[in-house]
Amino acid sequence: MARIELQNVEKRWGAVVGVRDVDLDIADEELVVFLGPSGCGKTTTMRMIAGLEDPSEGEIRMDGEVMNEVDARDRDVAMVFQGYALYPNMTIYENIRFPLRMRDVPKADQDRLIREAAAMVELEDYLDRKPGALSGGQRQRAALARAIVRKPQVFLMDEPLSNLDAKLRQAMRVQIKHLQRQLRITTVYVTHDQIEAMTLADRIVVMAGGSIQQIGTPDQIYRDPANTFVAGFIGSPPMNLIEGRVEGGTFSAPGISVPGLSHAEGRAVTLGVRPEDCHVAEGAAHLTGHVYGIEPTGDMTYLTVKAGDKLIEVKADRDFRADLDTPQGVTFDMDRLYLFAGESGERIR
Amino acid sequence: MTDTPLRDVGPAAAAGPASQIRRRRSRRMKALFPYLLVAPAVIYLLGITLYPGIYAIIQSFHAVKFGPWQPVGFDNYVRLMGDYQFWGALWNTFVIGSISLTLQCVLALILAFYAYRDPWVQGWRIVFLVPMLFMPSAVAFIYKLSFLDARVFSDLLQRIGLIDGNLAIQSSVWGSRALLILADVWQWTPFLFIIFVAALQGQDEEVEEAARLDGASWFSIFWNISLPLMKPVIAVALILRGIDITTMFTNVFIITKGGPAFGTETISYFIYRTGFKFFNFGYASAASVVMLILTIIIAQVVVKRAFVSARN
Repeated sequence: MARIELQNVEKRWGAVVGVRDVDLDIADEELVVFLGPSGCGKTTTMRMIAGLEDPSEGEIRMDGEVMNEVDARDRDVAMVFQGYALYPNMTIYENIRFPLRMRDVPKADQDRLIREAAAMVELEDYLDRKPGALSGGQRQRAALARAIVRKPQVFLMDEPLSNLDAKLRQAMRVQIKHLQRQLRITTVYVTHDQIEAMTLADRIVVMAGGSIQQIGTPDQIYRDPANTFVAGFIGSPPMNLIEGRVEGGTFSAPGISVPGLSHAEGRAVTLGVRPEDCHVAEGAAHLTGHVYGIEPTGDMTYLTVKAGDKLIEVKADRDFRADLDTPQGVTFDMDRLYLFAGESGERIR
Repeated sequence: MTDTPLRDVGPAAAAGPASQIRRRRSRRMKALFPYLLVAPAVIYLLGITLYPGIYAIIQSFHAVKFGPWQPVGFDNYVRLMGDYQFWGALWNTFVIGSISLTLQCVLALILAFYAYRDPWVQGWRIVFLVPMLFMPSAVAFIYKLSFLDARVFSDLLQRIGLIDGNLAIQSSVWGSRALLILADVWQWTPFLFIIFVAALQGQDEEVEEAARLDGASWFSIFWNISLPLMKPVIAVALILRGIDITTMFTNVFIITKGGPAFGTETISYFIYRTGFKFFNFGYASAASVVMLILTIIIAQVVVKRAFVSARN
């Protein structure tokens, strides 16, 4: 139960900059997800919060107290690792007991706490086994139990679900969110999976190239992306990003013409439009091209239209069908168009 | 050579009689070929281990002086059981060996623990192997010349005024034993060190980090996690070293000659003395066989214990 502040935090290894100038304020009991592609600095930032890496610059504070010089073992932070990191020589019971033993929790309380934690993750029947005798999902839950047993100030999770299959991942996602609400522990969760981020987070921190791209609630990140990176990273399928120019209030690119734009006159821009905000045109269309691909999934149909050399994704009605290479018009939802500066990729508002 | 014979060595020619020969040979050789491949190694191994081993076992049931072998049944073994020098040598081997083994193992573990995450150590492991690379007899001579007969060590202590008169290590049983132990520890700690460092470096770093966040100190990480996981490696290393130490001969032969008062006479030296000084070959063979059996039993017990506990 702690507030975490990062101020101008930077991590360098020689000339390589892993994380640059990160400013972040995580509220008490909040669940914050660091989201980004591999190598974006999200894990390094988390490891600095844990105390496993020292920041090259800047300050990390917990509840106002500067933690830079505090050793990892004294930070009262629990972490769930991607590879679970269970102690292979100990049973699950001993694994969960280890943090209690190391923190001199009275023997009388240990057993009760261990069984409580095991019950929370439904692992009571496996306490006598060694990690090697458990499945991936069970190991994951054992790692969770070991982290929650001592009620830490901060909970850190480094891609905890990436080694599980899709079905199990969804079940564990729900369980993690539930546990976090129940225990009310400030949590930082690292992932490269945008679905995990969207479903779990109170706030998402999108990172790329070592720096923060945007901080916001899942809704804000989805509906109001700050730049082309965030726009293209969030959403499945991702936002269509079309390079073109605005002349006389009309955005134009090969095969595409969108009138009625009031800003960015005379500039090279990137037009962003999400697949669900594209509609199959009955008459006049913003875009005319040819059907490139059509993928019915049952509940909807993914339509890919080729205009110029650009492929545009459209989420069409589930009954929509078309032959390949037939001409196809698409209209955009004018209230949900995004304009980004051509060079920097920053949003033009 | 002219062009004419070369023209014959085309693909058409190769598909002719040559391939027929090859096919005929492959049919005959198919079964034999693997055996032929391993034959040199097997012959070599049998030659240097099995043949002398069987020879020694047969010899141990005979009285062998310079003349023909006299079969004596179990006489050599019976005599061995009552030979206080044999038991003394067994005891000396045990005392010197166990102290030396314990010391080098603990020392190597401590060094490995301090060094294994150090990038310098990872890059320069070979440096630590240097003592091992010296010829054992050369090491033994260095120790003999430094410590015995009031030479370097004793002289230095006198000159800085720590002792009066000479330091007579060779006249004290424990002094001589300590010297053998020191030489062995010096030469072989690096071997264990390198094995332990490799084992520790192979362990999952995430597990250590998890333990650190769980509140464990470096020592308790090592004690509770790294060390238990190293058990099988330690067992193998100790067996290798243990067998080596049980047959310790070079240092005894060069530094102490088993003295004083047989206080440093190891089994190997006892066998050597019986065989090559008193030319009692049958008796020496019997002692070798007993030692072989002991070594096998101990190694079996250690391997079984260490591996069972690590597996489950």
